[in-house]
Amino acid sequence: MDPSKSINDNRPILREHVYDGIQEYDQKLPNWWLFTWYICIFWFVVAWVAYYQMGRGKSDVEKIDAAIAVVEASRAKALESVDDEKLWAMSKDPKVVAAGEATYKTTCVACHAPDLSGHIAGAKLPGLPLIDKEWKHGHNPTQLLSIVRKGAPDITKGMPPWEPQLGIARVIEVVAYVLSKHDKADAFTLAADSPLIGSSAPVPAPAVPKAGGS
Amino acid sequence: MTQASASSAKTTIEFNDKVVRQFMHASIIWGIVGMLVGVVVALQLNFHQLNLASWFSFGRLRPLHTNAVIFAFVGNMMFCGVYYSTQRLCKARMASDFLSSLHFWGWQFIIVCAAITLPLGLTRGQEYAELIWPINIMVAVIWVVFAINFFWTLARRNEPSLYVALWFYISTVITIAILYIVNHLSIPTSWTHSYTIFAGVQNGLVQWWYGHNAVAFFLTTPILGIMYYFLPKAAERPVYSYRLSIVHFWSLVFIYIWAGPHHLLNTALPKWLQMLGMFFSLMLWAPSWGGMLNGLLTLRGAWDKLRTDPVIKFFIAAITFYGMSTFEGPLLSIRAVNALSHYSDWTIGHVHSGALGWNGFMAAGLFYWLAPRLYGTKLYSQSWANFHFWIGTIGILIYVAAMWVSGIMQGLMLNATDAGGTALAYPNFIETLTSIRAMMGFRIVGGAMYLVGTILMGVNILMTVRSGKAINETREVVLLERGQKDTMTMKETFINDPISYMFGGLLLILGWLFLPPGADIASLICAGIFAALAVKKFSEGHSRWSRWYESLLTNWLPFSVLTFIAVALGGLIQIIPTVTVSQAKNIEDRIQQPYTPLELAGRDIYVSEGCYNCHSQMIRTMLPDVLRYGDYSRLGESIYDHPFQWGSKRTGPDLAREGDKYPHSWHFDHMMEPRSTSIGSNMPSYPHLYTEKFDQKTLPRKIAVMVQLGVPYPMMDATEIKTNAIEQGIKIVGELKTQGKDAQPDTKIIAVIAYLQKLGKFDVPKIEEKLQGTPAGIPFPVKPGLPDKFRTTSN
Repeated sequence: MDPSKSINDNRPILREHVYDGIQEYDQKLPNWWLFTWYICIFWFVVAWVAYYQMGRGKSDVEKIDAAIAVVEASRAKALESVDDEKLWAMSKDPKVVAAGEATYKTTCVACHAPDLSGHIAGAKLPGLPLIDKEWKHGHNPTQLLSIVRKGAPDITKGMPPWEPQLGIARVIEVVAYVLSKHDKADAFTLAADSPLIGSSAPVPAPAVPKAGGS
Repeated sequence: MTQASASSAKTTIEFNDKVVRQFMHASIIWGIVGMLVGVVVALQLNFHQLNLASWFSFGRLRPLHTNAVIFAFVGNMMFCGVYYSTQRLCKARMASDFLSSLHFWGWQFIIVCAAITLPLGLTRGQEYAELIWPINIMVAVIWVVFAINFFWTLARRNEPSLYVALWFYISTVITIAILYIVNHLSIPTSWTHSYTIFAGVQNGLVQWWYGHNAVAFFLTTPILGIMYYFLPKAAERPVYSYRLSIVHFWSLVFIYIWAGPHHLLNTALPKWLQMLGMFFSLMLWAPSWGGMLNGLLTLRGAWDKLRTDPVIKFFIAAITFYGMSTFEGPLLSIRAVNALSHYSDWTIGHVHSGALGWNGFMAAGLFYWLAPRLYGTKLYSQSWANFHFWIGTIGILIYVAAMWVSGIMQGLMLNATDAGGTALAYPNFIETLTSIRAMMGFRIVGGAMYLVGTILMGVNILMTVRSGKAINETREVVLLERGQKDTMTMKETFINDPISYMFGGLLLILGWLFLPPGADIASLICAGIFAALAVKKFSEGHSRWSRWYESLLTNWLPFSVLTFIAVALGGLIQIIPTVTVSQAKNIEDRIQQPYTPLELAGRDIYVSEGCYNCHSQMIRTMLPDVLRYGDYSRLGESIYDHPFQWGSKRTGPDLAREGDKYPHSWHFDHMMEPRSTSIGSNMPSYPHLYTEKFDQKTLPRKIAVMVQLGVPYPMMDATEIKTNAIEQGIKIVGELKTQGKDAQPDTKIIAVIAYLQKLGKFDVPKIEEKLQGTPAGIPFPVKPGLPDKFRTTSN
């Protein structure tokens, strides 16, 4: 393969000039190399013309907004059939509860403790206890669901919204898991610092400017 | 075939090989240090307990690693090769011994300053541009010293024609000066701190124009020049193709500059810039491979040396790694691939196949070839060099393969969705981190093996040095007479077919990119016709074109001017529209609220601790990003960010919408012991934030600079600023108290919490503000229309 030894017409030119002992052949550019390049340039022209001159394709913002709309629609659909009764029923379904427990163990334990007590080795964790009968944001399963989905009304108090990250299905499972530690017939009380005290209104949606895909 | 004639005067010159030896030793020493720090930071990623002190934590040491490897190891290696080969290719001693010496000692002083300031947390907070402003000035000055010395030598050369290695050196000297100076424009707030004059997207564009082209013109072009000189020398074979040299040199330096925005794909960066970044990266593939081909094919007829000569082994492996990483680069620049790879370890693997494979092995080949010649002796041990080659190669392969697996795996997990694409498959970030822990372990093994090889090289070179004695080569050269070089006039440089067709074509292409609808497509068609004409003209008179080029090669200044134009264009075209066009077009209905004094202090601590090394602040326009971190980021949200903190790696989650996500107490616990709130986290603990006070003294000056940079702060005097900061601190401390945490309002942790709780908050501009177009861009007479203007979306 040594080009200097080949004796056809394509014999490479060895340039005369010597730079500090270095000489240069003047071989033709390899065709495959040239065509790789031409294809890349061609692709650029085609893609640009298609997007900017012919208006093909959607902008990134259009694409992401459409994708978010699909997610919101699917959430709305998932929530349509969810009410207190349904959630209580789910809390008795071992499969749903097991799935909820798995999510709880990875996502919620850091603040609410593995035993849902909100305490670990006697020390208080940031999260509220979830096994006692005292509820700050209401004991109805849908109120619980709302808190897990959207976070606490006053976000600086803790609970972040989990719906975007976990997805509505996992949120429902986690709520079912927490409910499985309780019974519908239990006597619940509202905490002394509950924002619900003095109003019979349901938990207001938090005023979060960042609608994080929700 | 020198231009010798009977009348030519001859003289004997002695090359300045002393400075070559100095740079070689410095490169080896700093190389070992830089790689050692690399192994340390790799260990810290896996064992968070190794973040032993504030100055010994990942966020501060990682910049030390990157800066040491780039500027100290490769920098000194480049200067070593450039000084050795330039003198021989010019048949002239370096123009000034004083400047050579000043260059060497100045550069080492800069490195020492960097090694002290970076662990102290003194940083500008932009990757590979972390050094503080007094060091920036020294770098610029020393670089100019190098440039003067280099060009002066070119002007005094006794070889009329410039060899291809010198073309690459010229492009390096010019481009690094431009990049470095523009990207480091800042206003000081103290001796150790400054704010960059660019903010948000402008800062992002300038930073990655710089960052990407530091790779191009610091780690690539000078090393290609070194390849073009030392490879044919070592192989004793002619270079494969002169015309390939021409085509790939000019296309490489022209195209490289445009590719910077590929570091910002799928972000809030305007789409036209993203498309330019992606497609110029793809078009860069062939020019890069041109260099690889010219290197590998030069070895035709000398492949047998690959078995016996360690120098050839290192060179060939290096060029192969160069080919691999310049194929990988364009691949990673495809937006769809980048959606997976960006922020992941894949990028880390990519740069290391370049840095360890291409730069490190080129350095090894260079030093094994040079050391015996600089000391008039034989290499101490060939077998040690062979061992270095194998342990280094295996080390790189382990490292790179681990990073591929890690990056692709984590990328796939982070982007995976289920429930019909409406929910994240792995909602817990730490789960994805845990899954790559083993790969992060392999990285330590690979890196450590490579380090062992480099240390062996150090010992081998040291023993070689001790067995010989420093010699400066002398050579008899024919002095060039007047008229044998540097005779080209301005007119001859610019008024000729090759240049006219180039610039004409370029102008038409720009018309296609920027003109309004109708005119753009006409411009494209004209460009096509023009290109056809140029091809016709070239095939008719290519000998004329070649003659012009050969005469250009005997003129250093016209060659350098054309190189300058080629590298300046891409940056100008991408950056000027974004910097000068009224920012209102770039804010996407979001205006950031200026940081309160306390938040600003917290932000500076965030930057100083190097949080950006692991946390991005940019939620991309991708559903998995939006589900995981919140609504996608808008440009307006970072318009007051000096420097921008979009980040380029997510070892931890994105923080763009961290504000109000958790209570203060969560952050308070998290910074003290990240594992208390995030089980399995590898984040360092930051106990010193709880005892150290944040800097109140310079806050008024910092805010004054911010105001100078156009951030709309209300009028506040120094006392008001400090009071404001402390009052906000007291408020946070009060809220912490209700959550059972005790803190002092003037400690760093309070400032950091204030900053983190601010992230992701913005104002929506009022109608009249939109109409007025606030805030304005830098005034500039020409305001090219942006391509995206013609594709306004319905919202």
